[in-house]
Amino acid sequence: MTTATFTAEKHGLAAVGAAVQRHSMLLFDYFTQYAKVQFGYRADFFISLATSFAATCFQLGFVIVLFQKIPQLAGWRFPEVLFLYGFSLIPYGLFNVISLNLYNFGNNYIIEGKFDRVLLRPVSSLFQVLFETFRIESLQEVATGVYCLWWASRRLGLVWTPGKFAMLLFFGICAATIYMSIFVMLTTVSFRFEDRIGVSPPVWNVIAFGRYPLTIYNGTVQFVLCWVIPFGLASFYPSVRLLGRTVTPEYARLVPVVAAVFLTAAITLWTLGSRHYTSTGS
Amino acid sequence: MSADPLIHVKDLSKHFRAFDRREGIWGSIQNLFVRDYHTVAAVDRIGFTIDRGEMVGYIGPNGAGKSTTIKMLTGILVPTSGEILINGFVPFRQRRQYVKTIGVVFGQRTQLWWDIAVIESFKLLRRIYDVSQRDFDERMERFNEILGIRDYLRTPVRKLSLGERMRCDLAAALLHNPPLLFLDEPTIGLDVVAKEHIRHFLRAVNREFRTTVLLTTHDLDDIEELCHRLMIIDHGRVLYDGPLDQLKERLLRTKQIKCVLKDRAQVAGISVFSRDGLVLDQVDPLTYRIRFDRTKVATTDLIRKILAAVEVRDLLIEDESIEEVVKRIYAGEATFEVSL
Repeated sequence: MTTATFTAEKHGLAAVGAAVQRHSMLLFDYFTQYAKVQFGYRADFFISLATSFAATCFQLGFVIVLFQKIPQLAGWRFPEVLFLYGFSLIPYGLFNVISLNLYNFGNNYIIEGKFDRVLLRPVSSLFQVLFETFRIESLQEVATGVYCLWWASRRLGLVWTPGKFAMLLFFGICAATIYMSIFVMLTTVSFRFEDRIGVSPPVWNVIAFGRYPLTIYNGTVQFVLCWVIPFGLASFYPSVRLLGRTVTPEYARLVPVVAAVFLTAAITLWTLGSRHYTSTGS
Repeated sequence: MSADPLIHVKDLSKHFRAFDRREGIWGSIQNLFVRDYHTVAAVDRIGFTIDRGEMVGYIGPNGAGKSTTIKMLTGILVPTSGEILINGFVPFRQRRQYVKTIGVVFGQRTQLWWDIAVIESFKLLRRIYDVSQRDFDERMERFNEILGIRDYLRTPVRKLSLGERMRCDLAAALLHNPPLLFLDEPTIGLDVVAKEHIRHFLRAVNREFRTTVLLTTHDLDDIEELCHRLMIIDHGRVLYDGPLDQLKERLLRTKQIKCVLKDRAQVAGISVFSRDGLVLDQVDPLTYRIRFDRTKVATTDLIRKILAAVEVRDLLIEDESIEEVVKRIYAGEATFEVSL
């Protein structure tokens, strides 16, 4: 069943191009629609921005305090750790902009039956769920991340070439895709088990592990963060490459591959899962 | 029935796995660890066809399987077994292409964006459904004419009355000019005037665009005013599928005659009409109602007898209302006659 819908869309490159164009335009439309709603509740927006920024500051503060007590962490100096931390904030922020509906999916869409309306529209259901609400205030995480990179680069004397900027953008998007795919897969559990919260929250906390140098962890944790829930892989290897340090083994090349594999798996699981949607009683 | 129906449904079933919840606090704790399931057939091997341009009423008591059927027909639910072919599509399999050819209104839920002006929802729907600006303007103009929605296009949806919102929802569902419209309780909670407005619009749409309409409702006036054909479903099975008139013909058993007596002197004379299967009630001092089974008593005979016995100022012959009939069907009293 699912392959039928997939192949129907893959009639040559032209069709793919048209689909990409249509979805980009729809993404823009959905975003402006959401922005119009938000502008109706201005105070709300500024309060969420403030709380979200405060949360970022607390987390960052922890790293800073830690490094006032110890000069190095398993061979990593403070500016380097801050660089890694800053890089990881970028995909995290990008993902958070669209993560709200995944977080609330079981409650809003399954239990309340809002998924009915999604299925009645001629647009991919995953696309609609991801882009129906945005957490615009999460862009502060991206901004904080960029600031950390800038500050650390100055301390380390790193030079940013256009090539490096492109690499940052590319890896940032790959990592955000990995984050998103992981949570999409976790969200599909809601199609089978009608629970309000779902299984995402504990995994959410694992993201924090990916912000530090992977080499500080033992082998099992490293393996999990690379190949099971690859938050570590997604942000550690790309930022190390940007930093110009060498680690062995070096997996930055695999990040786009992992992103593609995870995204495909997420879309497939979502399509299979949505067939189990049972709607509500009325 | 034409050779090429718009909707073709055969042996369609939907089973749900229901979970037997234990009662009380101890039961809830047990529920955490052990769950017993049983299978419920919400829709059980139903079949029908609907032609282009038909307006069909789909009724049944709560929990009969109406919504489940509609949700399978609209591609929301995947059937457990059976076939659905609508306009050349298998709804759940070709969902994205298929939904472009249908409009759906759920009376209980809006598909408009809650916090922003109605027109903004229409604009986004235009993009979602790929409607050209010209068609959009033309249709909006037409909707304004029959639905009169122009006045509140700039109002946020949350500030609309239920009637206004329903009109907007209808317009939204028809924006892409679908040949098929599904309505799930379109008049629920509306006042008489608002209901009339919606019905008028549906008739106009059906006439002008030959839009096929399948509607579920609990308001039988909707059916009487809109639909020639009626389907009754209960316990997941179709009990009746045919013209409304035919159902009445088959099921209307009770008739009643209301007589307004000329004066109080006639009261003694009317009292004889409470025997031989006749039921006599007094409505007010001079008005009496005689109910009878029309299969046992000939109406003309009874009228003749009444006129011979008493002097009346007025005489009114009424059929049992369709509500009464449907009530009997839901209560399971008329299953045999329905499925004749």
